[in-house]
This record gives sequence, structure tokens and C-alpha cells, in this order.
Amino acid sequence: MIGVELLSKRLYMMLLSTDYVFVLILAPRIGYLPLLSSQLKPFFCGALPPGVDTIWFEYKGLPLKWYIPTGVLFDLLCAEPERPWNLTVHFRGYPGNILIPCDGEDSVKWSYINSLKEAAYIIHGSSKNVMNMSHPDQVELWRSVMNGKLELYNRISSKLKLGILGDEFSARSNPSSLKSQQSVNETEATAAPKASRIPVRLYLWTIDDDFDDLEAAPNFDSWDQISYINRPVEINGEGKYFTLLDAVKSILPELYPDSSNTIKAEIKKEEITEETTVESVETESTSGHPVIKLLRIQGIKPKMDIPFSWVVNNLMNPDYFLHICLYIKAPKPISP
Amino acid sequence: MASSDSPPPPIASRKVVVHLRATGDAPILKQAKFKIAGTDKFSKVIDFLRRQLHRETLFVYVNSAFSPSPDQLVNDLYDNFGFDGKLVVNYASSMAWG
Repeated sequence: MIGVELLSKRLYMMLLSTDYVFVLILAPRIGYLPLLSSQLKPFFCGALPPGVDTIWFEYKGLPLKWYIPTGVLFDLLCAEPERPWNLTVHFRGYPGNILIPCDGEDSVKWSYINSLKEAAYIIHGSSKNVMNMSHPDQVELWRSVMNGKLELYNRISSKLKLGILGDEFSARSNPSSLKSQQSVNETEATAAPKASRIPVRLYLWTIDDDFDDLEAAPNFDSWDQISYINRPVEINGEGKYFTLLDAVKSILPELYPDSSNTIKAEIKKEEITEETTVESVETESTSGHPVIKLLRIQGIKPKMDIPFSWVVNNLMNPDYFLHICLYIKAPKPISP
Repeated sequence: MASSDSPPPPIASRKVVVHLRATGDAPILKQAKFKIAGTDKFSKVIDFLRRQLHRETLFVYVNSAFSPSPDQLVNDLYDNFGFDGKLVVNYASSMAWG
């Protein structure tokens, strides 16, 4: 199953318009839904009344956030992967109260570059590398992302010097592609401190106690059911074997008060005496352990004990964020 | 960037100080600093600015660099991009940083 997922970098999507025209297309996992517009328009234009079109997509009643990569949306919203993925495409009635405005490719590009700048800031403490990028490079980089051109992407993105982790596992198994990046990392590493911050976007669905069967997972009818968490994972580079599970724990100290973050929480307790904050940590810890029901990255369900560095180096999106979809069974949904 | 010894676990009751800075010809606000619950989304900051400035189109940035998506939590933004105990938010009436 995983093999199939690994090979299929594209999602089969069945698209249906409100006028019941069916179209079956392939969409890149690493891509954004509005970019399918030019491919889709010809099929639907006959059915559209005159007026201004703004394309948006819906899955089982939920308008899809266009700036989340297509593959992430699929991993997040289909606990049991649906093939083809049945989406409804709309050209009118943009739900502006739920989705931020999208002005076609320009908006998507703008969102991508912003994401890249955020990642650069998290990694280096500054977005300069991205902001100082030459215009032609920026155009090329965007084109490589849009068209899924990995070589071009690697060539341009390496100039950003955002290589994150030395990863002895990948370096050994795949010397050709990583060596070049690696050497860039090393020159950087001499100046930079050893600790690395990995940009992570975590999409979290917290299942409460009385819910057990993942197959019977309810449809998401609102984005409020999913917590959108943007916290970097810090790796201190002391050669400690840092797993994917360690990373998840470090992102969710509310759920894993026993992990290393407890120490921080306790220090905090001493600093601030009267806070309600520590209480929340403590109530969580007494009420049972959270259970990871599903963790999916790029369509893959990795084992929780694999090295996090491998995950980052191999499954990161082109915006330098690792997008993790997580269903977790925990006593209390964490807010918001 | 938040220094490594700043408190990392986002805390339910934490308030974040947001420092609003006008860029370009955008009007300057009388009160440039205010507190917002860390559990609020960035959209709340954007809406606040829209209301204050009576403008529909507004470009809002963090650290004179990028525009985070409106559904990011203020807590996360502060932990990732805040410094000196505050989150610096720049606003402009036209695109300032592309």
C-alpha cells in the first residue's frame, strides 16, 4: 500500500461541477488546487453563465483552503483514501467568509513565496535569502514548483542555502543528490549554531474519548474541527536519535507533558507563580495518554520511530515546511 | 526570532503584545501597541486594522518580510517570529514586500 502511495505523486480526482459535468483529471500532490483552473475551464465553460469566474473546490460540503497543498488536503480529509477523489468545482458564489480571496495563479504564487519566507525566518532568523532572490530566480523557482520540475527546483532552491539537516541516513543511501546539498549545509553549519529549527505545519484533528473507529470517521464540515499548528521542531544536533514521535511530542506539549517540554513547563511554573497556565498542563497529564490514530505525510504513514531527519529531508514540501496530518485520540481537544 | 530561553509551550491564557507599524503612506494609528489573546487567529489582527483604517485592501506583514496566512495562531506567530516580547506587524495600503 505504501509502495503505491510512494509512486503516485499525483492524485486522481473526479471533479463535478454544480451543473453535473464530470471530469477525471490527475492533480499533482505537490501543487495547489486553483492551478488546475486552466485545465478545467474548457470542460465547464459551456455550462457557465456569463460573468466573473472564481474557481473554488469543495469536498463533501467543506470548501477547500486553496493555499494548503493538494496532497495535504487529501491526506487530511480522507482518512480512508478515496480514489478517485470526488470533488465539486465551483465557479461562482465564492465563500469569502471561509476562504481567503484567491486571484488565480498570482495569489497562489504569493502564498507560496510567503510560506518560503516564513520557513527561511524559522531556519535562519531572517527571510533575507528569499527576499534577496533575483527576479528571474524567483520566477524559475515558482515555475519548477508549478510544473513539478525537481531538478530545476533543486538547482534554484539550493541558492537559498536553506538546507536544514545533516542526515547521515539519507546521505549514505542517496549520495548523489544529497552530497551537493550537504556541502552547502556544512559551510553554513560552521557559522550557525548546531541546533536546527525545522518549519512544521501540523494539521491536527483531536478525537475525543468516546470515538474509536477510524473507518467511521465523520466528515469534516468545518475547518474549526482541525487545529492548524505552526511550531518548529528543534533538534539540538547532539547526535541523539531523534524520532518522528519525539518531534510530534515536542510540537504538542499540551498532549505530551511528560516529554522534554515538561522541564520547560516546570521552569515556567517557578517563574510565574499564580498562572492558570500550569494547571492546564497538569490536568492533561492526569487524564490518560494520547493515542496517535493516524499520521500521514505525503500520503505515507511512516513508522513513528524513524529518524525525524530522514522525514524532513525526504518528505518536506517545496516551501521548506513539513506538512503533517495527524489524528490523535486525546482526552480533551486542545484549543482552539 | 524568539530566543531559545523564551517560554515555548503556547499557553492558553497568554496575551501577546502586537506592535503595529505603518509602512509607506499608510496612516499611523494613535495606539500602536495592543494585546491580543494568543489563541486568536492572525485574521483578528487583520480585521482590527481594516476597521481602524477603514480600508478593505490592506497588506499586512510580520517583521517587514512576509504575510502569514490569516488562520495562523497569534501564539505560533509570536513563538516563531516575535522578539523583545512582541510581535511586529507592518501594514501598508499597497504591496510593500513582494
